[in-house]
Amino acid sequence: MGAIMQTTLAALAVIAVGYILAYLVFDRLRDRFGYVGGAEYVVIGFLLGPRITGLLGAEQVQDLTPIVSLALGWLGMLLGTYFRLPTMARIHASHLRIAFSEALATFGSALITLLAVFHYLLGYPWPEATVQAVTLAAVATLSSSAAIDAVTRKAGQLSALYPVLQLTARIDALVGVAAFGLLLSVYHLGQVSLEVRPPTATEWAVINLAVGVASGVLFHLFLGPRGHLQEAEGESRLFVALAGAIVVASGASYYLNLSPIYTNLVLGFILANSGSAHRDVTRLLLRTERPVYLALLIFAGAAWSPSSPELLFVAPLFVVVRLSARFLGGWVAGSLVAPPELKTPGLGRALLAQGGIAVALAVNYTQVRPDLNADLILTATLVSVLLFDIVASREAGAVVARNGTPGQQSNDPAVVEPLPQ
Amino acid sequence: VIRRLVVLMLLVGGAVLLEPLRAPTEGVIAPRSLFLFGILLLTADTFGAIAHDLGLPRLVGYLVAGLALGPSVAGIVPAGVLEDLGMMKRLAVGLIGLLAGAELRMSDLRQRHRLILLVLAFQTVAVLVVLLVTSLLLREWLPFLQPLSDNRLFFVALLFAAVLTVNSPMVTLALLTETRASGPLAKTTLGVVLVADVIIILLFTGAFSLAQASLGGTTAGAPEILLRLLAEVLGSILAGTVIGGVLTLYLRFVKRELVVFAVVVVFATAAAAPALHFEFLLSLLVAGFLVENVAPVRAEPLVEVLHQAAVPVFVIFFAMAGADLHIQEFAAVGPLVVVIALARMAAVWGSTTYAAHLASAELGVVRYGWTGLVSQAGVALGLATIVADRLPGVGLAMQTLTIGVIAFNESIGPILFRRGLEKAGEITVQ
Repeated sequence: MGAIMQTTLAALAVIAVGYILAYLVFDRLRDRFGYVGGAEYVVIGFLLGPRITGLLGAEQVQDLTPIVSLALGWLGMLLGTYFRLPTMARIHASHLRIAFSEALATFGSALITLLAVFHYLLGYPWPEATVQAVTLAAVATLSSSAAIDAVTRKAGQLSALYPVLQLTARIDALVGVAAFGLLLSVYHLGQVSLEVRPPTATEWAVINLAVGVASGVLFHLFLGPRGHLQEAEGESRLFVALAGAIVVASGASYYLNLSPIYTNLVLGFILANSGSAHRDVTRLLLRTERPVYLALLIFAGAAWSPSSPELLFVAPLFVVVRLSARFLGGWVAGSLVAPPELKTPGLGRALLAQGGIAVALAVNYTQVRPDLNADLILTATLVSVLLFDIVASREAGAVVARNGTPGQQSNDPAVVEPLPQ
Repeated sequence: VIRRLVVLMLLVGGAVLLEPLRAPTEGVIAPRSLFLFGILLLTADTFGAIAHDLGLPRLVGYLVAGLALGPSVAGIVPAGVLEDLGMMKRLAVGLIGLLAGAELRMSDLRQRHRLILLVLAFQTVAVLVVLLVTSLLLREWLPFLQPLSDNRLFFVALLFAAVLTVNSPMVTLALLTETRASGPLAKTTLGVVLVADVIIILLFTGAFSLAQASLGGTTAGAPEILLRLLAEVLGSILAGTVIGGVLTLYLRFVKRELVVFAVVVVFATAAAAPALHFEFLLSLLVAGFLVENVAPVRAEPLVEVLHQAAVPVFVIFFAMAGADLHIQEFAAVGPLVVVIALARMAAVWGSTTYAAHLASAELGVVRYGWTGLVSQAGVALGLATIVADRLPGVGLAMQTLTIGVIAFNESIGPILFRRGLEKAGEITVQ
């Protein structure tokens, strides 16, 4: 008993000291570089996990799946709520062209490079190479507006480039999540019951979409009119209802071995475009985004089990691939597609931050494809997210300072949906 | 509400449609558990709204939802799913413990210590004596007492009474959070149930040791068990002090992402408790109390965050508690359950009213103080399980009846307490 007590106490001490050190280091980075991530939470998860203290053993990490699925779905749903059609309809066509060309060019270039790496360099057959390459290309495409928001907050005013960057970050996320969702449909893993014919790839894609649409419609009906949200504790009750809806949609996706992030994106899209409760839903999702993201980081840290080759070879290679793809995508959109007043060859530099959805995709991959280099995908993603989140704010600030028009308030009401107050 | 019920039925129907497309996934929690957990949450929320519309506490709705979907009734949420989700329940219990401790103000305790101690003492003794006498009178009909005589009969009946002496901090806190009551009745009830939590564990330990010794168990082990449990209580207080210290440091130097940190603290405590042999809930209760009352930091941000998290946490806890109730098991002993529960209720009423009168408490406390002490839930169920596990002979037979009485009190108690708070004029939010 004494030995167990000592081990447990030592584990707790390691966690406490490790967390405080991580906090101090990253707080300094926050001050110096405007760091926007939550890497200390990956550290605390790693310290709690089986690799270091074992306080959160492999079994307990599995037991946390409901929280993790909630976190994955939460981020997916929040992403879906950004695409409110009345707002989208007011966006300038040139902005949309920039955003989509940036996202597709980044995804395409990352995919081609990663396919070559996995097939020719690492020797995987085409199907396996494709699964891994598409996942990492989706992760590479994802960008977050957190760094841009931080820069804007610091400057106190919007630049003309801000709405373009914000829109591009959202389209990046849309492309990444859709590609990953489609991947899990096309390369679907798992057996169906003997009495039914196994669905084709197209049918799986339709089923995935249908689950999201059905969840969205049913939850829209479940929420009903906005009135009941106004009563005392209305927000807490909305939280319960939202959590229930997300867990149901995520559970259905897990059940079918599909992506809960994609399903919840569709759910969020439907909620944002139907009913009167969309503002309450979006406000609540935004308010709780950070804790949810941090919970996901802790889980990712606990589930993280990196090996030396992954850390020394694949992760740095992925960082380089992402950086190159980002710059290329940014150049295509900012130089070739953008109108003269928005010419920004270094657009990609402002979109280096990856944020929560990237971690969510990697965690989702480890759950649905544990058979195919799950550790490698998670390691590459976490290393990339941690590194890029450190430098993202500074780079975004530089781009906005050089190409934007800081000091001028954007008078374009069509681009940025004002966040609910 | 009807619309919501229809949606829930459609969701369950959708699940049936997806059944043939099932793809077994290895290495993660059963996907079906996840889906059913979501259904449980949505159903509990809906039933909570129905209960609210009927003028009942929401938690009664959560319990009924759990019961309706659980293995006892519809079987939509089977027992395996509840096992899969054990960690969620633990998280809920831990957060409630932290909040309960933080809600206990030293100033209130100081001001009301005489009343709290008197109610606690009278209630404990009265319930113990009344249930002991009742069970001895009913021994012909109580299967676990029928074959016993003399000492064994007395000590096993005493153990049965001790298990049913326990109150429910969970129900008290859930109702106070829901109603936002904060008058003399609310403060007194909270003080009594939280202090009783510690006292009852000691009382139970003594009764358990005596019953075990009388049944021919290890007589020499009785004081050993008592010492071990005393050490567990002291260890919990010590652990709570350490956790409180960590929370204080965090509030002093970091003070960010409090909800995430609270969840991490609860998980770390849950992981450390079995290894270090301390009681999970008690340690978090102590931690919350120390942060609120002793620590040189402002605890309001933490308390506020815990309050915000309280509603979802209560939904999870009570819905799962409802699903855990196996009503068919005690359907056969229904009349006995009612008789014993009513005897307990009478003892609580008489003793609390007398003690409050003796302490010259406010009229609301004298008249309605007893209503807050009827409820029973998690702690009582835990003790019943310990008896069943460690004394399988009489314990299993006793468990059926005990759980029946707890279920009765769990359903009636919140309704009584809410009515008591209303009558005492302490409910400000409808």
